[in-house]
Amino acid sequence: MREDSSDAADDFGAILAAALESDSEEDIAVLDSKRVRMCKEEENAKTDESQSSASLGFSESNSDISKDKACSHHGEFMKGLCVVCGEMHPMPSSGVAFRYIHPDLMLANSEIDQRRARDTEKLLSQKKLYLILDLDHTLLNSTPLSLMTHEEYLKAREDSLQDVSKGSLFVLPHMHIATKLRPFVRTFLEEASAMFEMYIYTMGARPYALEMANLLDPDKKYFDARVISRDDGTQRHQKGLDVILGEESAVLVLDDTENAWTKHKDNLILMERYHYFSSSCRQFGFTCKSHSQLEHDESKPDGALATAISVLNQLHSTFFAVFEAEPSVADVRQVLKSLQKGILKGCRLVFSRVFPTKFPVESHPVWRMAEQLGATCSERMEQTVTHVVAMDAGTGKSRWAVKEKKFLVNPGWVEACYYGWKRQPEDRFHLACLLSGFYYEGIGTLSGAGPVGKSSCDGADPNVDVPASPLVR
Amino acid sequence: MFFHIVLERNMQLHPRYFGRNLRDHLVTKLMKDVEGTCSGRHGFVVAITGIESVGKGLIRDGTGFVTFPVKYQCIVFRPFKGEILEAVVTMVNKMGFFAEAGPVQMFVSNHLIPDDMEFQSGDVPNYTTSDGSVKIQKDSEVRLKIIGTRVDATEIFCIGTIKDDFLGVINDPATI
Repeated sequence: MREDSSDAADDFGAILAAALESDSEEDIAVLDSKRVRMCKEEENAKTDESQSSASLGFSESNSDISKDKACSHHGEFMKGLCVVCGEMHPMPSSGVAFRYIHPDLMLANSEIDQRRARDTEKLLSQKKLYLILDLDHTLLNSTPLSLMTHEEYLKAREDSLQDVSKGSLFVLPHMHIATKLRPFVRTFLEEASAMFEMYIYTMGARPYALEMANLLDPDKKYFDARVISRDDGTQRHQKGLDVILGEESAVLVLDDTENAWTKHKDNLILMERYHYFSSSCRQFGFTCKSHSQLEHDESKPDGALATAISVLNQLHSTFFAVFEAEPSVADVRQVLKSLQKGILKGCRLVFSRVFPTKFPVESHPVWRMAEQLGATCSERMEQTVTHVVAMDAGTGKSRWAVKEKKFLVNPGWVEACYYGWKRQPEDRFHLACLLSGFYYEGIGTLSGAGPVGKSSCDGADPNVDVPASPLVR
Repeated sequence: MFFHIVLERNMQLHPRYFGRNLRDHLVTKLMKDVEGTCSGRHGFVVAITGIESVGKGLIRDGTGFVTFPVKYQCIVFRPFKGEILEAVVTMVNKMGFFAEAGPVQMFVSNHLIPDDMEFQSGDVPNYTTSDGSVKIQKDSEVRLKIIGTRVDATEIFCIGTIKDDFLGVINDPATI
């Protein structure tokens, strides 16, 4: 490319020379003085031109010799030019494009490491951590307008786009979508911004991400330019912390999809999905009523975001307690793990008819969840067992639990503990709920009225379809 | 840097323009087509100052369009390495700032912003000295030196610096 530009410069010089000649030959009635001035200008230009092309040629040969030495500082590239010396360089193979900061920005790995260390140190000194937030089903729920046919009535309730900061249900005709913000989200962002530097990271396209950022943060207080879309990631269908300029030990992630973060599960706080529109439920294979159909939104004071902010609060204060004592070992992933481990500490779980026969139980989501929560899982009945998690009241283990006065709960209890970040009262998850077709009565009550159905299992309408949760299916 | 040069272009003209005003049409179309464009070779065409000559037209087979080779004088703008330019800041972020001088986009990295200027995020992101006397934000006017150019077929991009004597803010929008 550098060669191109010097070529171009040479060509340009030649053209100027030609132009000069043709000028002198031409016999056009132009004021003499003007002509002279012009020629002079062109001559000046020509000398400048040859100088500059010479210097270009020089730098070229120079850089070839000392490329390795001179390149030690080359870590940041804008459109392929090193931002420190202005030299054109082939892209380093081990670099990451930071398209969300600027479409043409590329950083080499060494530069990224330096920046991470520097930025993290600066942030920690302000008593802040990084927080990555997912959009869909975590902070909000969007649906294409074309799928809103059963929910026309919602359009009458849409909030004005003039004053975005007050509303929560928006119709964006230019994007062909309707968006419902999750209850509590504004308080959540406000409180989280005091403890975290926040990023948006969504699997949506860039225009969508920016539009949503605008709804969530109309005053541009929280996210600045830190909005990352699927176009900016380094791997398809995956989210990764490699495009975040912060140390992994100081990053927390709030997302509803565990599979998107395969490499960074330790940073992830898994969120219960927010389904406001019925199309969103259908998309995940649920046949139940959505929040909009039930005309009942997630509860504000104890919805998922309220839980999340209290968990974040705890993590933040624990982290900085450790950090002040011993800065080098402070790792938010450890803090997150130990907080989670405490939830079902001391519980011994035994499962009955939860897993299909011959299923490798250790890899079943419910088993993994229980272990993450600090519970001990086993397959054998012992006196030390505290809970029997069952799908059927008639099994031997279930009857044993009743006889021995152990807690007998359905698998929804484990999930409710997981998402609620505390041990849930067991009596709300008894197996009678299963008989009336409710796996997840627990979660329903937990968040007001989840898409899983009305809360009480007594007198529940057995005709109401119940979601087959992806976890228990 | 600006240059006044003669360039040539083949203009295609629809037969409906053939008549007394043919030349005028040709010139109008030329201005519309050429002014504001960029070629990697000559830089940006700022304005056409005159027509040198219009050659003989050639009828294209099949379409009826006629091609005229037109020589015209124009002012072009092409930035060079080492050149000092004045530019308007368009975007500020923690990596540095972008500025433009007419059609040319430039980037000044925070490595090449004087060390006493710190990035301040917020509503209007900016670089400010510790005493607050100098501030670079959107719409500030700066004088910078080009240290590298990338010339593409339709675009020129430059890397600049303000870490040198007599470079930096020349006009602060906040103080007007």
